[in-house]
Amino acid sequence: MLVLSRKVNENIIIDGRIVVKVVRTEGNFVKLGIEAPADVPVHRQEVYDEIQRNNQAALTSGRPAAARSVAGPAHPPAGTAAAAPIIPSASSPSAPIPPAVPIVPAVPTVPVAPAAPTTRTVPIAQTKTPGGSA
Amino acid sequence: MPVAKPFTRMKTVELEAPQRLPVKPENIITMPLGLLGFEQVKKYVLLGSPEEEPFLWLQMLDNPSQGFVVVSPTSVVPNYTPDIPQGDVDMLGIKNAADAIVLNIVTVRGTESTVNLKGPIVINRHTLVGKQCIPVNVGSFPLQHPISSLPIAA
Repeated sequence: MLVLSRKVNENIIIDGRIVVKVVRTEGNFVKLGIEAPADVPVHRQEVYDEIQRNNQAALTSGRPAAARSVAGPAHPPAGTAAAAPIIPSASSPSAPIPPAVPIVPAVPTVPVAPAAPTTRTVPIAQTKTPGGSA
Repeated sequence: MPVAKPFTRMKTVELEAPQRLPVKPENIITMPLGLLGFEQVKKYVLLGSPEEEPFLWLQMLDNPSQGFVVVSPTSVVPNYTPDIPQGDVDMLGIKNAADAIVLNIVTVRGTESTVNLKGPIVINRHTLVGKQCIPVNVGSFPLQHPISSLPIAA
């Protein structure tokens, strides 16, 4: 890992197009300003971590019980027992959905990110003393 | 990377025993980067049946007992507009919104199931290549949106 020392208001430039500026420090916090083209995603590491943890929690074994337990006829009010799993009948086999069939009734808009560079300020916890990690 | 000839081989996927359904190559969803935390799992099949609507089952192709319950976000929140990063749009080859299938992962927890709106899975409807994207406006969305607020008529 490259470790650089910077003072407040000093920058780091990555790939000639991404500017990371130390905006200020407050105790344990370093406030960073990041200026990057719109096609460069900038997120806190925690965003990846929490989605990853959520995915792991969402991993489900066995489709029918899982899907029916959320798709079931009712979401029982809190305090009542959940509906018993339904034994799938042989007459209602599930089939792979051909891509030609629109399975998403209405597609949410996927706006294209604006081309203009954006400045984002991301407070992050202060890292260890420079040179402390490899 | 060798490209499988389409229609030359059918793979059988195990569902709940004893059903076995042929999975055609054109039904396989490829996620070159996997899902976050499941980077090594790149092939999925999307299954659904009418009585489970609006939920679908994103099943691991090579591990049929494992998968994710997913749902179209339009069934969950009326105004879900994740701003998909341009790099992802390019990587998926999506030209306009109609090319995209958007699915969100459901965490099944009995009566308190939730939908992850922070990490939508975006799939190119034509190529069936997908990716779990982190929207530019990810901060606007909850990780665990309660599913009890589903505006569905069951």
